[in-house]
Amino acid sequence: MSSAKSVDRDLLVFSIWAVLGFLGAAFLLEGLTRDAYWVSLIGIAVIVAAFIAHIIVNAVFDTGFANGEVALGIGSFGLLAFVFIASWFTGDMSMPDFWSGLTLFSVLAAGLFVYLSTRHGLRGAFSRFHVNPHHDGESS
Amino acid sequence: MSAAASSAWLPLYGLFYVAVMLYWARVGARENGDYQTFFSAGHSLAPWISVLVLAGASLSGWFVLGGSGIIAMHGFALPSVLVAGVSLALPGVFFFKRIWFVGQRLRLSSQAEIFRSYYESHFLVVVSTLIALVFAVGFTGLQMRALSQIIETLTGETVSALTASVVLGFVLFAGVAIGGMRSVGYFGVIQTVCAYSATVTLAGFVLFWSDGFAALNSSLSELAAAPEGSVKFLVSGVIHFTGGLGRGGELAAADTAVANLSLAFAFMGFQASPLALKIVLSTRNANGFGAGQTWVLAGAFGGLIAFAVAIIGAMGLIHPALSVEAMLARLQEGSPWFAAMIFIGIVAGVQLLAGLALLTAAESVVRHVYKPYFHSTLSRRATVTLTRVSIAVLILITVLMQSLTPVTLSAIAGLALPCAFQLWTPLLGVTWLRWITRPAAATGVGFGLAGVLLTEPFGYQVLSFLGLELPWGRWPWTIHSAAWGMAANLAAVLIISAITNRNAFGEEAREARDFLHGTLRTSRRSHGLRSTAWSAALIWLFLALGPGLIFGNAAFGKAGAEGASWLVGMPSLWAWALASWVTGIGLVWFLSYKMEMASPYGQEIPAYEPTLRLRRDRSDAEQERLRILIITGAAGFVLIVLIAFSFGG
Repeated sequence: MSSAKSVDRDLLVFSIWAVLGFLGAAFLLEGLTRDAYWVSLIGIAVIVAAFIAHIIVNAVFDTGFANGEVALGIGSFGLLAFVFIASWFTGDMSMPDFWSGLTLFSVLAAGLFVYLSTRHGLRGAFSRFHVNPHHDGESS
Repeated sequence: MSAAASSAWLPLYGLFYVAVMLYWARVGARENGDYQTFFSAGHSLAPWISVLVLAGASLSGWFVLGGSGIIAMHGFALPSVLVAGVSLALPGVFFFKRIWFVGQRLRLSSQAEIFRSYYESHFLVVVSTLIALVFAVGFTGLQMRALSQIIETLTGETVSALTASVVLGFVLFAGVAIGGMRSVGYFGVIQTVCAYSATVTLAGFVLFWSDGFAALNSSLSELAAAPEGSVKFLVSGVIHFTGGLGRGGELAAADTAVANLSLAFAFMGFQASPLALKIVLSTRNANGFGAGQTWVLAGAFGGLIAFAVAIIGAMGLIHPALSVEAMLARLQEGSPWFAAMIFIGIVAGVQLLAGLALLTAAESVVRHVYKPYFHSTLSRRATVTLTRVSIAVLILITVLMQSLTPVTLSAIAGLALPCAFQLWTPLLGVTWLRWITRPAAATGVGFGLAGVLLTEPFGYQVLSFLGLELPWGRWPWTIHSAAWGMAANLAAVLIISAITNRNAFGEEAREARDFLHGTLRTSRRSHGLRSTAWSAALIWLFLALGPGLIFGNAAFGKAGAEGASWLVGMPSLWAWALASWVTGIGLVWFLSYKMEMASPYGQEIPAYEPTLRLRRDRSDAEQERLRILIITGAAGFVLIVLIAFSFGG
């Protein structure tokens, strides 16, 4: 991709997350603080909308997620999952918070599966994780 | 939630904002090759980027603070504020495409260069530079001051306004000085969408607090039933022949139809300013201006003002204590993440304008004044370095003024838009009206600026300091200084153009005129629509901004002691303004596309090759010029001190 196109794509991605990402996070936090499941659900919906917008931008520019984006996404997912599990173990979590967290992770995991299977096909999606030594230059 | 947890969100969001800004500054610097395309991004900004940055700089940040404040103070009696999206878009329709063509043909990158090439006028170059400085120091400085005060409130005075303004200044410097125009453009896109979403979110909270749009209007209705409240829902006549504010004119009676019209003229100054033209001339092509002015600026951002800013202002009108600052403080208590998000959005909008203003002003001072008149051998790298130093100095001045001289800052800020509006006449001369001569354009702007200064606090405070008391105050006859200035400006232009040689233009001006005449000839169809366009534009101006606003007082219901009977569930003038906004989008679309004023084009624009001339060593003349400047400056200073000591003070 040319430099100008790359800048255009990155600007759109930054803009999407600056608006929808922060708005979704704010709604999610609001729901968790007030124990309001429906408010959290709005936040999750906005975050999903940000992902969809990001994927549309990728499709328009005929590219996938950049390595940095994947690392940031998986890192954030892992951190949030850790905080969720730690809160669960300490027993401070209310039921609306529990369901909010569970919905978020379920939606993100399901979204990842849907994204990979639509982009690479079911078998191809599995191959993204499955290490085949014959394809890694070890075959004779 | 603990106070510490509550106050952690603002710095967290702030750090994220700075990190993203530095990322884009780095991208900009890398593409610039450090200094090669620092000033104009190599004329390569994508049209969609320019469109968004123009819209963001035109309205977003300062309108949330200023526009909502005007509605909170004046109510709906100044509906021209609500239609500002269209008023701000109209100048771009007239000028941007043609100015971009001239710039591309002559390879120019700023308003000052256009004035130098076309009019060969040193005066207009200096005026353009001064107006950029007024925007950079006054206009944006005042808003940065408001932001610093909000930070002080949100942090419970842990961070003082002075510290906040210093930090904001550093952030601004880093963004602009590293990446130049490219980072202003790139990061400006993100700043624009952040400001837009912050305004919408804040309006959403206002509706939530008010129990919905109907309940908000019900409270407005109650306010309108009170004797002192009803005036805030009426345009108080066409004109009042008062001596102006501070000289017998009352603020409550100042919201007349001509006040609305002349305020709209001031808004129209922004897109004639050096700031807007800096973006235009840094753009890759002119194909986005029509869509940008119609759908983005007049449509999306006009709607933002007509709805979101109006809702925020209406809340301040109902509860005078609830300014934007107070709303953010209220949010900070229960939902600090929302407060941080909205505040950073507003900061982004203001910093976009501030960054653009600082870059334009510093470039003008160094590249268009210092280098050509005093140091023509300055290398490109040194020019960029000096511009960076100038940006730092300007930020330092504005930070000091925010803290030490807020009244002066406010007075200077008030000059920015009306002074920029005076640049309409030279720009019309370049783009449309070939009969405006060089002396007419320069003298007209001079008279226009005098008209503005004599009807603004800055001018009469300076004169008062020197011992001369003017018999009128601010905005006599309820007419904004922008219109007073334009009256003087137009009179001078018409008279002087009539008596001076209309063919006395230099080689580059003749080339620009021939080029525009040859390439942008309108089609027969749009030529046939000319009278329709004039009629539509004048009718819209009359009804949406001019004396026709009187009809808006009661067109959609009345307000009185027995309560309001609003036909569409909102104040009549608000509904009138919404109708004006919708029809205004139609007008902008008609002028842009049907009249081909900002329509896309298909042809390549080859660069003009000027006649080659021998370059002479000008160092002696430059030294002499510098000596004269210092002596004149010193003599002027002594003279002013003597006059002030003798008569004023």
